[in-house]
Amino acid sequence: MRIKDRHMWIFFVLPGVLLLILVLGFPAITSVLYSVKPEQAGDVSYTLSHYSNLLKDPFFKTIFWNTGIFVFLSVGTHMILGLAVAMVLNSALPAQPLFRLIALLPWVIPDVVAGIIWKWMFDPIYGAINDVLLKMGMIQSSIEWLSNPKLALLSVVLVNLWRGFPFVMLILLAGLQAIPKVLYEAAAIDGASNLKTFFYITIPGLRKMIVVALALDIVWEVRRFGLIQSMTQGGPGVLTEVLSTYTYKQYFQFFRFEYASAISVVLTVVLLLVSLPYIWMISQEE
Amino acid sequence: MRKIVTLSICMAVFLALFSANLAVAAQVTLRFSDWHLTEDVWNKSLNEGMDIFHKRHSNIKVVLEPVSYKEKETKYTVESAAGRAPDVFHVHAFSLPMFFSKGFAKDLTSFIEKEGPGFMDAWYPLPIDLMKSKGKIHAMPGDYMTMVLFYNTEMFKAAGLNPNNPPKTCDDFLDYAKKLTRDTDGDGKIDQWGFGTLGSKSPGFSMRFGPFLWSFGGDYLTPDMKHSALDSPEAKEAFTFFVELYTKHKVIPPGLTAMGAQDVRTQLAQKKVAMIMGSGWTPPIVNKINPDLKAFEVLKCAPAPTKRKQATAIWLSSWVMSPTTKHPNEAWELIKFITSKEIELKWFVDNRVTSSRKDVSGVAPEILNDKFASVMASQLPYGKVEPQIKQWPEIIDTFTTSLQEAIVGMKTPDKALAEAHERINAILAR
Repeated sequence: MRIKDRHMWIFFVLPGVLLLILVLGFPAITSVLYSVKPEQAGDVSYTLSHYSNLLKDPFFKTIFWNTGIFVFLSVGTHMILGLAVAMVLNSALPAQPLFRLIALLPWVIPDVVAGIIWKWMFDPIYGAINDVLLKMGMIQSSIEWLSNPKLALLSVVLVNLWRGFPFVMLILLAGLQAIPKVLYEAAAIDGASNLKTFFYITIPGLRKMIVVALALDIVWEVRRFGLIQSMTQGGPGVLTEVLSTYTYKQYFQFFRFEYASAISVVLTVVLLLVSLPYIWMISQEE
Repeated sequence: MRKIVTLSICMAVFLALFSANLAVAAQVTLRFSDWHLTEDVWNKSLNEGMDIFHKRHSNIKVVLEPVSYKEKETKYTVESAAGRAPDVFHVHAFSLPMFFSKGFAKDLTSFIEKEGPGFMDAWYPLPIDLMKSKGKIHAMPGDYMTMVLFYNTEMFKAAGLNPNNPPKTCDDFLDYAKKLTRDTDGDGKIDQWGFGTLGSKSPGFSMRFGPFLWSFGGDYLTPDMKHSALDSPEAKEAFTFFVELYTKHKVIPPGLTAMGAQDVRTQLAQKKVAMIMGSGWTPPIVNKINPDLKAFEVLKCAPAPTKRKQATAIWLSSWVMSPTTKHPNEAWELIKFITSKEIELKWFVDNRVTSSRKDVSGVAPEILNDKFASVMASQLPYGKVEPQIKQWPEIIDTFTTSLQEAIVGMKTPDKALAEAHERINAILAR
């Protein structure tokens, strides 16, 4: 009976493990197998040519670089705005629940819908943004936000800032609420300035939450697809093309399942490397 | 006696229920998917069509599955790979080679043979050829239209142009576009442009650019479709002409690289542009966007402008039967119905799309007397289709990428086109 009890956990864990294998393991293994499958049926049963072709792909380096810039700027701005809004919402604000709800709104709007809305707002003829700037006299003629090579990626990042900061804000707000108030009271008694309080109490208190937010947001932003696809389809040229849109294109538009799988595998490896600090931190806690 | 009556009633009820169950059991359900189901005018028309089908085939129930225009290939690819594609679905003809290469379209030869000799004679030969994979028909042709130049007659009049004399040559076209690019409210800023076109990476781009390229005498690929033909002087000239409409002559509204087909139709509907390339679908959609424009009265169409030869792009759609359908005979009945003479004419009357059937587009008075359809039908002999090879989506995406780089000034037209030429050759050599 005791032996049975000891092994009872298997029955509780098994359904979860099987589900994970089904929804995560199966597609992952299929992708890896596809990535080594030749495009044309031939003599060889597997090939690494898709991986070597990535290096020869005229767009891959640029797209990899674009993805890095997009993720860096998106996550960076999410952290800054997310922390700022979280601190405001953590303060004694009147109608706090209402402001929390408003701050969360961009996050609940689906990516594609947000992309279409902002594409219209950026439109050089009908767009609200140009209209406001023209009426305020800040510009003399309409700006081509999504067609100007210098502005296209930044415009997408700007929209992604609006779309994605509530996620970081939520995590950091939870972290802020967990910092004991007595620490701030002690700092105030000691005469610490707001800046010192921020750097010596708030930031150290949020350290773990910042790592969590960073890791999760990086993973989210590398996978960001609908927003970019609905706004620019990767254009002009490949200036806003990122790995997620490129993989989609290779798979669903060009029907190159094997090559798309190779890109996915590379993307997964990069994401795993990025997630290592997060995984390490979780394991240290345990 | 009472017992006998009760027993009889019970048996009658049982038999009635049993026969009803049998009828339900015998009914076949087909899944039918079409991007047109997301468009108001088409949706109504297709639903009416299916009502007629249901009346004639009481044993078949058709379930309609809408899909967005952009996502249809994605949806059908995923579902086909999983063996769960709709029984009948609608795709561009240029998507067919990819579906054929993956085995996602059922061979229809046996069904066609059962219809008897001469069944396919009702269709134009070109669409039939494009439905073939390894010599066998794997899809049935649907809409068959040419791209023509749509223009707003009122805007022509306001710019001092004769609406009965649309531009015939590319030089005329540029001249007209310049005259139609105006500041209409006198605030010193241009608020109306001569020509609206797609510049985004969208499936409709090549339908709008192709007529210019072919009319200049250029082409995307060599006749054997094994190499890029974009290094020809004619292709360079066409590419530069198109780019300079935006960069030099500024007759196209700003933001070209982000403009999709619906954006451009909206510009026409809102009188922001005076001319666009379009086809049968253009007047109903523009009318829907802005009924105040009175599109069917105000718009006219003309053959695509000509440089060295008359040429235009052909739009051709196709009906595919999934190889995994459990009801191939019923699916064939549905395909046969939606491509029948009667129903193809209905699609035209309701949606203004001309048919790939000769006995509809070539003879129906409704088409021959229609001011739009008659022009489109007159251009069929000059129509060309995009290369029907599985690499085509990748090739046109590469080409559009280079065109966008030239449009936004990242590269000169010559350099951008030379890069497209090299990259397309690399794709074809793979």
